[in-house]
This record gives sequence, structure tokens and C-alpha cells, in this order.
Amino acid sequence: MTVKLKHWLLLTLSVACSAAQAQSLAGAGFNPGDYTGVWRMVGGTIFDRSTAEPANAAAGQPGARERPPYNAEWEKKYLARIELVKQDRLPDPISNCGTPIGFPRIFNAPDGYEFVVTPKQTWVLTENGPNALRIYTDGRKHLPDDFIWPTYTGDSVGSWQGDTLTFTTIGLRGEDGTIVDRTGIILSDAAHATTQIRKADAGTIEIKLSIEDPKAFTRPWLVTKRFTRIPGGDEIRIMDYACAENNRNPVAADGKTLTLDTQGKVIDAGR
Amino acid sequence: MTTTNLKSLVAGIAVCGVLLLGGAGPVQAHHSGAMFDRNKAVDLEGVVKAFQWTNPHSWLQVEVADGKGGTKEWSIECGSPNTLARTGWRKTTFKSGDKIKVRIGPMIDGTAAGIFVGAQLATGETLGEMK
Repeated sequence: MTVKLKHWLLLTLSVACSAAQAQSLAGAGFNPGDYTGVWRMVGGTIFDRSTAEPANAAAGQPGARERPPYNAEWEKKYLARIELVKQDRLPDPISNCGTPIGFPRIFNAPDGYEFVVTPKQTWVLTENGPNALRIYTDGRKHLPDDFIWPTYTGDSVGSWQGDTLTFTTIGLRGEDGTIVDRTGIILSDAAHATTQIRKADAGTIEIKLSIEDPKAFTRPWLVTKRFTRIPGGDEIRIMDYACAENNRNPVAADGKTLTLDTQGKVIDAGR
Repeated sequence: MTTTNLKSLVAGIAVCGVLLLGGAGPVQAHHSGAMFDRNKAVDLEGVVKAFQWTNPHSWLQVEVADGKGGTKEWSIECGSPNTLARTGWRKTTFKSGDKIKVRIGPMIDGTAAGIFVGAQLATGETLGEMK
């Protein structure tokens, strides 16, 4: 056997072992399907379209709401926020162009998405923001209690079973700086979730969330989100969003969204 | 300037790809659309002063006759370049000096500003909802 042939055999064996190890770490039968391309969410940014009232409601529409399984205390909080929407004063952290959109709202963004799937990690990248959700599937556990701290996006680990990625998310900030959508839905700092991602068909990614919140909910909140590939040629790609580039809608101290002219002067009537 | 009541301003906005208010499309930008009147459309006729092809919103600045012998500058909010480009807009869709007609969902408080609904371009082509 020549030295060159030995080299290729060793290399082939090494690659095969790495692939087997990755498959083992990723779960039984890592078979995700094709996630390439740029995707967009189906429907508007009402997080739980199945319970929207009115049915064709838009997030931010005065009076629009959904039916998360709130207990009485948190339903009251939600109703207060719905009133703020009517006054155009609902605090939305992302309007200030600085903080991440957070979990689970990262599955509720407009514009393009990329799903980067590898055996050891899956990244959900949103064009809007931009934002990233990193899901570790290499066998690691959640961060320990003495290390983790509340963040917008939390800590996500999981595994693949064939075509389905199942992961859990913990370590969320709750109502401190995060909303789920512009009807005013919030979660508590006790919220955590189990999420499944799979290809429902060649052109559809289906994401099923089960969100539990011992402080705010009476039962798990089950929400399904779907994404479709944006059609087009190779000109379809993720571009900069850059919220702070020319933000002519800053938020005033009283919570009202302002409008600026091209020179940065407030033009809202009466301001 | 003419004002029209619309049964569904939302539909027009969804068609033109401006993604603030509609319920059917991938809507929502970086701020709420509560400042805009959802049931009224205002048609403006004027001259493009500038077209800002920028994030988080593109902006169309139009000089419109104020009825007193002068002009008033209107600020018209559009979507982000990435979203608009995917629906056929280009950075050159509007050019300074173009004479255009543009339909907006006006701001509720009467500010000379609004959300883009549709336009008749200098070439005579229409964009968005201009029926």
C-alpha cells in the first residue's frame, strides 16, 4: 500500500468517525432536510394567529388581542398593555434600536430569516434586528444555576430525532425588557419553553412552541409558526437592516413614537 | 390634496409592500403603526424632494402645494430597502424633481406625514394601491 493511499484511507476513516460522532451527538438520525435559502414568516406579527381577536388583527392595532392562557393577575396586566396600545404608548424595546428581539419573539419577526443547521448547532438568524438564536445540539446541558443569568434570548439546548429538532429554552428576562408582540403580550421570568422545528414540506418550516410560565399561565401555551422560502433568484439574500441607520421615529419620554424630518426635527403636530 | 375613506387601507398597504399595518403580510417594522389612520387615504400631488433608501424605513419627501401660493413638505414612510426590493422597488424608483401622485395613510394628528399606500410615478406607471 502506498503512502498516498494510506493517507487517503486514514483521512476517509477520520471523516467517517467525525460524521458518526456528530450524528450521535445530534440525536438518532440527523436528517434535517434542506434549510438553505432565505425564509419569511407566514402571516403578520400576531404571535398566536389562531386566537387573534379580531381574526385578521394586526399587531399594534388598537384593541387587538390573543388568548394566551394567563391567570387572572397576568390577564389584568395584558389588558393594561392593550390600553397602552390604544394610546400608542406600548413600550416596545426594539423600537429603540438596541436590544435583541428575544425569545420567543425571535420566531415573530418580519423580513428575512436564515436557518443554519449543522449536527452540533442550529442558528436562527433574523434579518430584522438582526438577531440570532443559537441552539446547541452537541450534547451539552443547560448552563448551571450558578452561571446562568436572565437574557433576552435565553439558553437553548436540544437534539435531533430524524427530521425534528427538539430544544428547551431557559434563562429569560421575563417582562423586564421583552415583549412577545405588539398586542402587549409579556411573559414572566419563570417562563421556559420546549420547541420543535421540522420541515413540514419542501417549502415550509414548521415551528411548534410549548411555552410554560408558572407565574403567568394556567397551562402551557401552544403556538405554531410557519415559514416559507422567499422566491426569486440569487439576488434573494439577507441584507443589512440597521435600525439605527436613519431612525426617524424615536420614542419620547412619555412613550409616544415621534416623527422627525430629514434634519432630525420633530414634526409631530402639537409637539 | 384629496381625502378618501377606504374600506381596507390594510389591503393596499399589503399590496405595495409597505409593511407597517397590514394583517395579511409579514408586517411590522421597528415601531407601531398606531399613529396612522387606518380608515382614511390622502392623495397628494407634488414634486419629489428626496428619496431616502434607508433603514429602518425608506422615506419619500414630497413638496405639495399648500393652497397659499407656497409648498408644504410631506414625509412619507415606506418599508425597509430589503423588503421593498423584494417587491420590485429600487433605490431609483423615485428621483428628485419627479412629478408624482402619491396616496398615503395619514397621521391621525394631522402632521404632514403618513404611510405609503401607492403612487403614480413620473413615468405614468403605478406602484402599490392607486385605484
